[in-house]
Amino acid sequence: MATENTQWQLEDFVDSLVVDLDKTRETLAVKAINKPLSYTVKELALDLNIFPSYDGDRVKFITAQPGQQGASKVTIQLGSITDQQVRATTKIPGAKNDINIDEIEVDKNTKKQLRKLGVSSVGDLKEIEQKNVDLKKVTDNTIDYSALANKIQKSRRDQNRPRVNGVSLSLDENDEPYLLIKGKNLAMDPKFEPVAVVNETLASVMSGSAEEVKIRVTDDHAFGENNEVILTFDPFAVVKLNVKAQ
Amino acid sequence: MIDEAFLPFEKIIERMLAFKGEIVDDQAGVRSYIYKCEIESPVEFDVIRDEHGALQIGSTPPLYYIDTSFRPAYHKLRFTAELSESVDGN
Repeated sequence: MATENTQWQLEDFVDSLVVDLDKTRETLAVKAINKPLSYTVKELALDLNIFPSYDGDRVKFITAQPGQQGASKVTIQLGSITDQQVRATTKIPGAKNDINIDEIEVDKNTKKQLRKLGVSSVGDLKEIEQKNVDLKKVTDNTIDYSALANKIQKSRRDQNRPRVNGVSLSLDENDEPYLLIKGKNLAMDPKFEPVAVVNETLASVMSGSAEEVKIRVTDDHAFGENNEVILTFDPFAVVKLNVKAQ
Repeated sequence: MIDEAFLPFEKIIERMLAFKGEIVDDQAGVRSYIYKCEIESPVEFDVIRDEHGALQIGSTPPLYYIDTSFRPAYHKLRFTAELSESVDGN
C-alpha cells in the first residue's frame, strides 16, 4: 500500500512527468546504439483520478488512493514526436567534460528553472549562450546568472585541480633568482593573472602557464630554509606550499 | 521516498518496452519484428514530494488480483511506441 499521496499543482506534475520521460528517452537513446530493435515513445496519455481543490490562489490536485470514490478525471496527453526530433533533441548523457546541473551548488529554484528550460548540464547552457538567447528574459530575472556562472567555473576548476609536481630555485639570464613551480593545471585562466605571496610578501609573477609558473624572489621575501608560498592561479584555485631550501 | 512497491515513472515505461522485438522461426525461415505497439494499462500512483520539494511520481501496474470491496484507484496509462530507426537509416 502506498503512502499518503501529497497535493500537487498541474505544473509540478507535468514537470516531473516530462523529466521522467526525458530520462526514458535518454536511456532509449543509449540503448539504440547497440540494440538495433529499440523503441521510441510516440504518444503518451494519462487518465488520472484526482480530487481538485482551490485555495483562492491556486488549484491543487491530489491523486485518488485505494478506496476513495467520486474522483474527477484529468487526462494529460503528450503529443507525438518523430524519430528525427528525438535524435535532434536527445543527446547521449554523460559527455566526457560536461557537468550535470545537479553537481553545481546552486539553489533549488535555479535548478528547477533550468530543468524547466530543458537545461540539464553546463553543456546545455553553453549551447543556449552560443545561440544568443537571453535566459534572463526567459526566466523573468529569477535566476542569478553571475552566481551561476561562478558556480559553473568552480565546478569546471574542481574537475581540473592544480597539481604541483616540483619547485626549484633558479637564476634568470640576469642572474636574478626566481622560483620555478612545475605541475599540471596551474595557471589555466588567461583572464586572470596568477598572484603569489612568498613568506607573507607579495611577489611578482614573471610568467604563468598550465605547466609552469615563474615567481621573482627578492631580498624582501627573506627566502630561507623554510618558506611559505601561496599561489592563487584563479579565483577557484589557491595552493599553499611549504618550500624547504636544501 | 516512493513506496517500495512502486517504481519511478520512467522505469515503468522502460520496463514495458524491454521486450525482444524480434520473432524468429528458423524452421519456417520466417523473421518478423514488432514495429509498433500500443500499451494501455491501469496503474496505481504514489505521488510524493522528496526532501528537495520535487514531485516524485511512483507507479505500478495493479498489485493485487483479488476482487475486494476496497477498490484500488486505478488510473490509466496509454502510450504508443514505435521502432526507432537505426543511425544508418535502416
